[in-house]
Amino acid sequence: MLRFTVRRLIGMIAVLFAISVIVFLIFNVIPNSDPAARIAGKNANPALIARVRADLGLDQPLPVQYLTMMKQIFTGKLTSYASDQNVAAHIIAGLPATLSLCIGAALLWMALAVWFGYLSAVHPGSVTDRALTVLALIGISLPVFWLAAILLYYLSFKVPIFPTGGYVPLTENPGQWLYHMVLPWITLAVLYVGFYSRVLRSNMVDVMNEDYVRTARAKGLSERQVRLRHVLRNSLIPIVTLFGLDFGAVVGGGTILTETVFNINGVGLYAGQAIGKLDLPPLMAVTMFGAFFIVFFNTVVDILYAFLDPRIRLGEAASV
Amino acid sequence: MSTLRRAVAVVGITIAAAGGVSGCGAGADKGGSAGGKSGGALNFTMTSFPDYVDPQLSYTVEGWEVLWNTYVPLLTYRHQRGEAGTDVVPGLAKDMPQISPEGTTYKLTLRPNMKYSDGTPIKAGDFTYAIKRLFKANSGGSVFYEGIVGAKDFADGKADGISGIVTDDATGDITITLDKPNGTFTNVLGLTFAAPVPPSTPLDKDATNNPPPSSGPFMISKVDAPNSLVLERNPQFTTVKDAGATEVPDAQVDKITVVQNKNNSAQVTGVEQNTIDYMQNPPDADRLSEVKAKFADRFRLENSINTYYFWMNNKTAPFNDVRVRQAINYAIDPEALNRVFGGRLHPTQQILPPGMPGYDEFKLYPGPDMNKAKALLAEANPADKNITVWTDDEPDRKRIGEYYHDLLNELGFNAQLKVISGDVYFTTIGNQSTPDLDTGFADWFQDFPHPDDFFRPLLNGENILPTNNNNFSQVAIAANDTTMDELRTGQLTEEARKQYAELDKSYMEQAVWAPYGNEEFSTFVSDRIDFDKVYYHLLFTHDYSSFALK
Amino acid sequence: MSTATLGGRSPWQLAGIRLRRNRFAIAFGVLFVLIVAFCLAAPLWADHVAHTGPNQNHITDRVLVGGQLTDVVAPDGTPLGPGLRGRYLLGADQNGRDVMVRLMYGGRTSIYIGVLAALITTLLAVAVGVLAGYYRGWIDAVLSRILDVVWAFPVLLLGIALGTTLALGGLQIGGVQIAGDSLWIPILIIAVVYVPYMARPIRGEVLALREKEFVEAAVAQGKGPLRIMISELLPNIVSTIIVFTALNIANNMLLESALSFLGAGVRPPNASWGTMIADGYQTIYTAPHLTIVPGLMIVLTVLSLNVFGDGLRDALNPRAQIRPGR
Repeated sequence: MLRFTVRRLIGMIAVLFAISVIVFLIFNVIPNSDPAARIAGKNANPALIARVRADLGLDQPLPVQYLTMMKQIFTGKLTSYASDQNVAAHIIAGLPATLSLCIGAALLWMALAVWFGYLSAVHPGSVTDRALTVLALIGISLPVFWLAAILLYYLSFKVPIFPTGGYVPLTENPGQWLYHMVLPWITLAVLYVGFYSRVLRSNMVDVMNEDYVRTARAKGLSERQVRLRHVLRNSLIPIVTLFGLDFGAVVGGGTILTETVFNINGVGLYAGQAIGKLDLPPLMAVTMFGAFFIVFFNTVVDILYAFLDPRIRLGEAASV
Repeated sequence: MSTLRRAVAVVGITIAAAGGVSGCGAGADKGGSAGGKSGGALNFTMTSFPDYVDPQLSYTVEGWEVLWNTYVPLLTYRHQRGEAGTDVVPGLAKDMPQISPEGTTYKLTLRPNMKYSDGTPIKAGDFTYAIKRLFKANSGGSVFYEGIVGAKDFADGKADGISGIVTDDATGDITITLDKPNGTFTNVLGLTFAAPVPPSTPLDKDATNNPPPSSGPFMISKVDAPNSLVLERNPQFTTVKDAGATEVPDAQVDKITVVQNKNNSAQVTGVEQNTIDYMQNPPDADRLSEVKAKFADRFRLENSINTYYFWMNNKTAPFNDVRVRQAINYAIDPEALNRVFGGRLHPTQQILPPGMPGYDEFKLYPGPDMNKAKALLAEANPADKNITVWTDDEPDRKRIGEYYHDLLNELGFNAQLKVISGDVYFTTIGNQSTPDLDTGFADWFQDFPHPDDFFRPLLNGENILPTNNNNFSQVAIAANDTTMDELRTGQLTEEARKQYAELDKSYMEQAVWAPYGNEEFSTFVSDRIDFDKVYYHLLFTHDYSSFALK
Repeated sequence: MSTATLGGRSPWQLAGIRLRRNRFAIAFGVLFVLIVAFCLAAPLWADHVAHTGPNQNHITDRVLVGGQLTDVVAPDGTPLGPGLRGRYLLGADQNGRDVMVRLMYGGRTSIYIGVLAALITTLLAVAVGVLAGYYRGWIDAVLSRILDVVWAFPVLLLGIALGTTLALGGLQIGGVQIAGDSLWIPILIIAVVYVPYMARPIRGEVLALREKEFVEAAVAQGKGPLRIMISELLPNIVSTIIVFTALNIANNMLLESALSFLGAGVRPPNASWGTMIADGYQTIYTAPHLTIVPGLMIVLTVLSLNVFGDGLRDALNPRAQIRPGR
């Protein structure tokens, strides 16, 4: 078990390293993306550009630049090319907004998904089931940015119920914080509600055919008790692991479009701007931030699976 | 619906009804100290935060707007709307500079007994310090001051000081020596790049997070880049005013909070509902007609000094034939481009924009005239009909590119459109090694209101640079280059203005470009601002010292 | 219905019967086919009804609306709205182009990208999943980590960076030249992005299948790894492959629209439903139809693929029988 965990952790580090190198190379391969030329201004002459390059350390060989950047990320001293802002400080400043968005949406989607999935599963084939299935499928068919635009148009412009975007910190004004988060939560949650309610439904239908459920019924437990104590609990296990992966993905960059459309000053918006400006330091930092979350959750889930399933842990089929 | 969620929905709607729908900027401080004519705290928003809150480094419209009334250079621009605002007048200096007959020596005297906002006295040596910062902090504006003797050596680290600037703190005398006469130098002395700052300001680093003490009517009391900054009245500004700086008006409000808000539509709603006092950017095309129709009493369009044009590579086929270039000028419909841009493009067909000294309206290719264009093309009969059209990916630029691309196809060319990301667009088309640079979108916003700022970087043959090129059309007309150089050695007299107008016409006779519009900006304020006092300055955009509560 | 042996039916025939019974799924499958047909009819509409191409600008033109000559694009930039007419049935966009025509041509592009990318994903995912699951050990380790890298990689960054880079000079792989604005660039990006999504479940299935007796038997028989993969493993994962491919087309269309929305997918002036939403976004308040219509098309198409894919999954019931190979 320990060997397995260690190997997975090493794998995680290898993946993060590979991503950082690829991002660095891509950025350096984009033609005409030399930040020195842009920072030096529209009237710059070659002498000024050369001085800016030297200042930013861009005249060093690529491997040296890469190592310097990595060192700066780990010591928290990374600054953007376009301005003198500290990247780490900026990311930390944006975390509350992004986490508000992700955690709120996650709570919303899990609550709704469990509820809808449960309703669907207890009466498979019924009208409720059909209707919820269609709703779920519509949910996973909506482009996120389009949904956001439609919600804003109808619920914020046509009928001014909600604000047109922006973020109010929880510590500043809880009421306004909630008010501004409603539409973004809905936008982010819709896709996942659809997906998870169907997974839960299908898991529950499978579990209900298992022997131990029949045994529970035979023991005399009420249908409701059977459903909640045996079926639901056992159906939730795979959901929880899936949730781990998805939550990692959402925090790790799945919020770019939502934050952009709703103008929420979080890590996602910062990432979107960095990509648009081709500003390598913040771009690298948010990419690593996002990748870390995704890979971390992925690794945790894998380790948990291995822990729970002895065949994988002990057998030849042990994945690295 | 569960009871919990119904409750949440009710709460949500109640909050909506109570709080009103608005974009969320910093809290609005309604009213203030005196109320009425002078005083109060205002709330501004911008889509982009200033690039630097540092007078020597800032090179964007947003930055200059914030810094103009904060850091006063030796000379400044008249605080008036329209062409009067393009005149250079004394700022911290007593008078306009005494220029030697050969035009290479400039003598100025600093006004006495002035203090920065923190009480430090303003000294003549601070001007030299500011110029040194330009070079040591690698400012984009340093190129305008390279003509000062010894500047290049200082920049390269070969000298400890700039030999061409001699100052005397006791008398306040400042003597600047240029290596060549340069009629644009007074203009350049009026930019915030040259604003004196105390030597406590870091020499080679950006001061955004801790801006130097100021000399203007406002001082910067807090910066939280890139989210917000706060301007307050400068208590020491009376020392500047008392020293005789009449051309720099006093602040009429106590405090201005500037907040970044990337959502233009939210800003529009905010100004409409008076939770935001002023938005720096014009309303998006989507909201523009609504604002024009319903809020005409506090909205107006403003002329700005810029030109939008299509560059055409004069050196390669098919645009090396003047008839082809003239055909394009006939074919373009400025009205169509105006609509695609959202209604803020004032039509033009010349290099210099209205408001620029030397502008004299003319139209050599009345149109749009597709027949004339096709006739010219038939005459020219270019062999190479494959054209690559370039544009950048900002929505309005993209639409302009798509229009131009379709137009070229209609004229019989085989055009291919290339859309490049906004941040690398100009460096891409400015790089000679990029293949197929035939024609494409460009715009140019002035650095200072002198025609040389348009002609030299964009049309002078010496300025066809291998990288960071701005002469996209690769124009090199020797006679015009000579005229340009001659005109620059002198000052901007009436005669010089006429000659610049002739230069404009001469280039358009050769149809070196296909210009089509000047972008208009706007003034849109909340109803507690005195709309008639606020004005749009042609160089520094909105003058913060002109904002006052009704 | 033919019978192969005494009165029995092959699993495929059974699946077909189950699918046909699922009227819901069939209905949506038909909807998808109708949408594809609609998009393929683009040239007909453009030539005979709308009399314009998808990229032709008519900014200062005027059309008859209710007997009155109206601007296609008003002086303030607001485009004409939808109405019952041959030209501009769904209105115009800000460049004066006919939205209906662009919608149809754009649909062709979006569906084309979705389908091709899905096919490439399937090829790559099957290869990676089967190899990783069969060989395990370090091959699995390396392939799994590569999948991790792809999965955690910021696809938007990749799209924008590649889009910008390749817009200039195109791409050269071996002797093949791909132009900068070729559709192959978004196709390849989207195809690669979804490989882990499909490869991991396939790998999981192969890992499980590998332990079965019939594989042991095949090894004992002396069959080489490639033959085992093709004749024993592949047939048992075919249903997973089919279902995933169908669902992938749906995912791909959503990703294409996101990439095009950010300017990293289909290059202007070509239409795709994603670029149309991006363009329409600029005038969402004055001309909402420009955003709503292409979005609805995406939703309908993706929904029909999802419902049909779901029906396929139910019909094929991949978790059911595992049969030994021939």
